[in-house]
Amino acid sequence: MVRGIIAFALFQVFGVVFFGAEQFFQTEVIGFSNGLIFALVALGYTLVYGIIELINFAHGDVFMLGSMLAFLLIGPIFAVTVDTPVLLKVGIILLVLGVTMIGTAALNVSIERVAYKPLRNAPKLAPLISAIGMSFVLQNVGLLLAGPGNKSIDNIFGTANILSVFGIEGVTINIQQVFVAIVTIPLLIVLSWFVSTTRQGKAMRATAQDPDTAGLMGVDVNRTIAITFLIAGALAGAAGVVQILYNNTTVWNLGFRFGLNSFTAAVLGGIGNLQGAVLGALVLGFINAFSDRFFSTNWTNALVFGILIAILVFKPTGLLGQQLADRA
Amino acid sequence: MSSATKQVGSGIGGWVGHMVDAAAAIPGHYGNLLAKRRGRTIALTLLGLLALTYPLIYNQFLAGLSRNVFPLPVPDETTMTFMLIFGIMAIGLNIVVGFAGLLDLGYVAFYALGAYTAAFFASPHFGSISIVLFSNVVSGFPGIHLPFWMILPMAVLVAATFGALLGAPTLRLRGDYLAIVTLGFGEIVPVFFKNLAAITFTFTIGGVTLISLQDVNLTGGPLGINPIDPFVILGVGFGATSGVAAVYFAMALTIIGIIVARNLERSRMGRAWGAIREDETAAEMMGVNTVRTKLLAFALGASFAGVAGAFQASYLGATTSDFFQFSTSILVLIMVILGGIGNIWGVLAGAIVLVYIDKTLLIWLGQRIGSVAPDFPNPSQFNFLIFGILLVVMMRFRPEGFIPSRQRAAELSVHGLEEAETAMGVDVETDNVSVAPPGQAELDREAELPSDLDDL
Repeated sequence: MVRGIIAFALFQVFGVVFFGAEQFFQTEVIGFSNGLIFALVALGYTLVYGIIELINFAHGDVFMLGSMLAFLLIGPIFAVTVDTPVLLKVGIILLVLGVTMIGTAALNVSIERVAYKPLRNAPKLAPLISAIGMSFVLQNVGLLLAGPGNKSIDNIFGTANILSVFGIEGVTINIQQVFVAIVTIPLLIVLSWFVSTTRQGKAMRATAQDPDTAGLMGVDVNRTIAITFLIAGALAGAAGVVQILYNNTTVWNLGFRFGLNSFTAAVLGGIGNLQGAVLGALVLGFINAFSDRFFSTNWTNALVFGILIAILVFKPTGLLGQQLADRA
Repeated sequence: MSSATKQVGSGIGGWVGHMVDAAAAIPGHYGNLLAKRRGRTIALTLLGLLALTYPLIYNQFLAGLSRNVFPLPVPDETTMTFMLIFGIMAIGLNIVVGFAGLLDLGYVAFYALGAYTAAFFASPHFGSISIVLFSNVVSGFPGIHLPFWMILPMAVLVAATFGALLGAPTLRLRGDYLAIVTLGFGEIVPVFFKNLAAITFTFTIGGVTLISLQDVNLTGGPLGINPIDPFVILGVGFGATSGVAAVYFAMALTIIGIIVARNLERSRMGRAWGAIREDETAAEMMGVNTVRTKLLAFALGASFAGVAGAFQASYLGATTSDFFQFSTSILVLIMVILGGIGNIWGVLAGAIVLVYIDKTLLIWLGQRIGSVAPDFPNPSQFNFLIFGILLVVMMRFRPEGFIPSRQRAAELSVHGLEEAETAMGVDVETDNVSVAPPGQAELDREAELPSDLDDL
């Protein structure tokens, strides 16, 4: 913890000196917003991996379908624009958020039923391959429904800089970025509360530790796994809504790269560890933003994969993870 | 197989002698098989003959029929060649996944390395120099021009080296972590090929510039490298335009691949692969050098993709990084799984069937449907929808594939495992990617072996 804070402080000093304050803080704002979206998806990977040790390859594509559904609702159906009255806008966003989260949650639970549950006792290769197959199925469903092109909506928040209220002009925080935080952070808090204090959360933690014993103690393991997928799917749906309102565009193969980024985040933080996933996602958001800004967008993916490989090879427990070190 | 149990001599001479012995034993074997399993042997013989003669049948008869009378969903020469290119890759991936039980999701990287090896050493790409060796290209022509028979061993070497390089850091990893690392590797390699088009780099020590690169175009960037020399022997070309000749050349490569893979499977190394696949810890205790074994599995498996890539590049006469996507890795994996993991003939059949579906059947269907209902989605655009469903369904109902190896069938089916356990009265380690199944995990953990290979 202390080391982390010191590292972060050093990073700030180094960044300001090296890149110049305005560029550095602007990149940090972008990185933070990206990181929050990664966090929602990364939590889905880490929850599922924590409980059934499956890399849910299809998760990124559930997120993609969430963003497609949100695109459909915000764009063609409700036709929200920047001129829509604020109260109506908020109402529609809440509605879209609810519908999308329910949709992706239901989708994720169905995927679990169809593709993973029958393979619960099979060797571990089987569900992983099934998940890869499911990922391709979902991508193609997206392609079938939305076509091969990018699907874009208007920026419904405008481009006003919040910081100009305080007289700061060099760094921009726009309403989209604030929106990302407003949706994401409460969800993270609710999830943390759910897993750490509720009965069902306790059942999830018990199942993650040892499904057989948890079953003997009266935990309905199948139901717990289904609820885990439900939560993961709902978070992916929320991430989909946030991503379409933040980036204003989505595409059928968005899930693959985004999913691998988020998975990398989960591994970086220590897979199976919820706080780790959020931390890893923020770090990865920063890495993405800084690489895009100061290095080259062409190399960002290679960099992310390089980091993923390096962590898996040299520190497979990640930054915070200890619990599941012996699982892989 | 008597030839398998015989002591194999060392070196190339011994290997050639072994091959000659094996070839000499074929008529006897065939007679035996014909006597014992008449129907099956005759059917397989006919199938083999059909495979050998099909390119000619197509060329002489089916192509004209399909063009002039009515369109038939029959594979053309390009499809046939790609069936065999993917067949070689499936046989190679089967060494890694099927024999050694290491799930590799980045196999396409080695395919790319093979293709770019051919592109670098047999094209006008490096126009500032001129090296022409044994090639039909006019001497003094810009670029490096080596003949394909020199490219092939180079591609093998490059792919095998990178296979071992990938293998080295992943030795400690097991199961799904290994899968993800290989996936990352498979994604990084094409990124390098895509981006290394304008390298500007200077390396200076103490005022002395050791390396100075100005805008060096190494890989051709997103456009790739084009053209690549076709393979020509005695005036016979083996490129995309040369029709049947290329198919037979690919067939020859595939047959060599089958022979090599079969011999590997039955070698000491092959048994070591089986042992680490079944139970790495036990194999190590029994004296199997797991480091060497795994590295060799990666290197040898990769070399097959190197051959396939080099041939593909010289066949198409062009290569770009877009050929080498994650979906290609998965396509080859599906071939291995569909055909029958661990079984050379199964994975070859898987490759042939999948390329047929991908390159002939779906396109034909798309044209048929398109002529009736133009608005209906073209099935050839949704090939991976079908393959994805295939993967999910196969894992659910037939994880051992359609032509399984007997051993792997028992390991992969839950049922077979239970039978095996009851029959043997022991807890069988069944895990093909060496992550223990429920129950076994605890045993592994309690074992607390001193080896750090077990930590992860």
